[in-house]
Amino acid sequence: MSEIIIQVNNVNKTYRGSYTPALRNFSIEVREGEIFGLLGPNGAGKSTLLNILSGLLTFDTGNISICGRNMPQQLNEIKPLIGVVPQEIALYPTLTAVENLKIFGGIYGIISKELKQRMDNLLNYFGLEQSKNRQIKTYSGGMKRRINLIAGLLHQPKVLFLDEPTVSVDVQSKTLILDNLKEINAQGTTIIYTSHFMEEAEMLCSRVAFMDEGKLLCKDTPQNLIQNTNCPNLESLYLKLTGKTLRD
Amino acid sequence: MKKLISLLYKDYLLLIRDVAGLCLMFLMPIALVFLMTFLQNDIIGKVNEAEISVIMLNLDNDILGNSIEKHISESESFVLTKSKNSENELRIAVARGNYMIGIVVPENASDSIRLNAKRAVQKGFKGEKYESKDSVTIHILIDPTLKTSFRNTLMSTMKEYSAKTERDFLLQELLAALNQSFPFMLGTIQLDGNQVNFDVQYALKDENAAVPNATQHNVPAWTLFAIFFISLSLSVGLINERKDGSFKRLLALPCTYFQYLLSKSILFLFVCLLQFALLFALGIYLFPHLGLPKLLLGDNAWLLLPMCICSSLAAIGFGIFIGKITTDHQQAAVLAALSVVIFAAIGGIWIPVFTMPEIMKIISKISPLNWGLNGFYNILIRNGTLMDILPECAYSLGFAVVCMGIALGYNRRRKI
Repeated sequence: MSEIIIQVNNVNKTYRGSYTPALRNFSIEVREGEIFGLLGPNGAGKSTLLNILSGLLTFDTGNISICGRNMPQQLNEIKPLIGVVPQEIALYPTLTAVENLKIFGGIYGIISKELKQRMDNLLNYFGLEQSKNRQIKTYSGGMKRRINLIAGLLHQPKVLFLDEPTVSVDVQSKTLILDNLKEINAQGTTIIYTSHFMEEAEMLCSRVAFMDEGKLLCKDTPQNLIQNTNCPNLESLYLKLTGKTLRD
Repeated sequence: MKKLISLLYKDYLLLIRDVAGLCLMFLMPIALVFLMTFLQNDIIGKVNEAEISVIMLNLDNDILGNSIEKHISESESFVLTKSKNSENELRIAVARGNYMIGIVVPENASDSIRLNAKRAVQKGFKGEKYESKDSVTIHILIDPTLKTSFRNTLMSTMKEYSAKTERDFLLQELLAALNQSFPFMLGTIQLDGNQVNFDVQYALKDENAAVPNATQHNVPAWTLFAIFFISLSLSVGLINERKDGSFKRLLALPCTYFQYLLSKSILFLFVCLLQFALLFALGIYLFPHLGLPKLLLGDNAWLLLPMCICSSLAAIGFGIFIGKITTDHQQAAVLAALSVVIFAAIGGIWIPVFTMPEIMKIISKISPLNWGLNGFYNILIRNGTLMDILPECAYSLGFAVVCMGIALGYNRRRKI
């Protein structure tokens, strides 16, 4: 069995000014090489957990370690090992794809020659080679999602955090993104992934965790969860666990 | 270092792609410095040059009338037109605004004064007191829009020469009376009127210092305004990065918030120095070709650099502070623009502080633009030394540190 790469133990987080905790005694462990899905309705705490794991938010109590390093004490050592792909297109819209990637690669300290090679490979891999010198604001939704993903992969992270990477994209872009994610995972990158698409999670993830109101509801492989709960698929299980009440 | 270079490259690209922001940073201050210098130079010119039009009807045609006519026409403050019309027509011409001032010296005015002088001497020689009769009235018609200071200037001139005429007549009559009593003829008794001279000059610390003029005020003033106006671009840029998520990505990268701010500070400091160099170069090289006074830098021109750096850092700190405490573009743009305009107004950019009421003079001391302007004045006009600008530099740097400290503290509380 592979090693635990992410360990989250009894983590609590309450936002300043809020009375409701965003995470309540939350614990999970992710093994190296997994694609781990975090599933739950809006406000469940998925993005909060990803932001904490990315070092963007602090947590109140509990312990977190990534690649054997503790957060937040060893955050500076953790940052080069993780890649973050936020839900929003976290790139400079008035800059070209190449300019954006040069900047982010430079901040990771990748030397110019190596950076150029990685950029060319990834742009080619995600079908953006032809449009690499166009400003991001001129890209379609699918292209923006792909370049957003490339920016998180440029430094070849050991762990990749993806926050809804296929939202608002066409079927072609979605297929390309998911196929490439599988391949990147096959090359050894551990992926933590959130999504509202249950079918996509069922197909992509080696394990999933359902969460709601900051609490872990259950976790296992999609197959085991479906089998053990007598649900036809993850979507039915999702509704069974979280109910049909709107979460606006 | 590579991180900082990458961040600088990013900020540079963002800056040059923001055409509207660049126009605001460079074209607006150029337009303002030209406009304000031309306007103020013209106003100052009107005060100093012969711009006040005077029409005069000299019905006296004798010593009093001719003396006033001569001295007004020789004065640099007035342009004199001699009238041959009636007093009523002259009144209409002034009322229509064709002339700012109309003067009517009545017929036989000199004769009346001469007669009074003669009577006064005769009475005096008899040891009696003379009660003046037949006084002369000179009618002065003034355009209602004429400033009080110009009216006072004219009245001073008129009173001076009418009093001189009275004295001259009195002396003449006195001499004539003495000649009748003395066995020999007395010569003319007169001083040339130049026994007391006036030396007017600006109170400058040393004689090489520049004389204050529209250029010496407006170039540093609008340079400071431009420097502080970068807080608008800077704060909106910070909001943009927060809104489009790129700031979130940067924080997830091996890059600290301090490095992020340092890159912005370095780039915008360069922008401020560029604005400073551009506007000062205009004042030195272009203004003289346009008929405006040349900007003189004084003996300690090198002090302009530390003063400019300190003011720029204050502006950068302020921009970062606004960008951190506001949540959207509109808030940031309105707050930055409004506060810079208010700081400029109370800081003496538009109206010099010395013309303000006492309470405003006190309030002006809280404006970072006022510290900068005082520092520039110390260098450009008072030929000040490093010690003279140290307080202004310290205030500006203190302001920058407080603003950036608040932004850093705020970021620790709320990262994204």
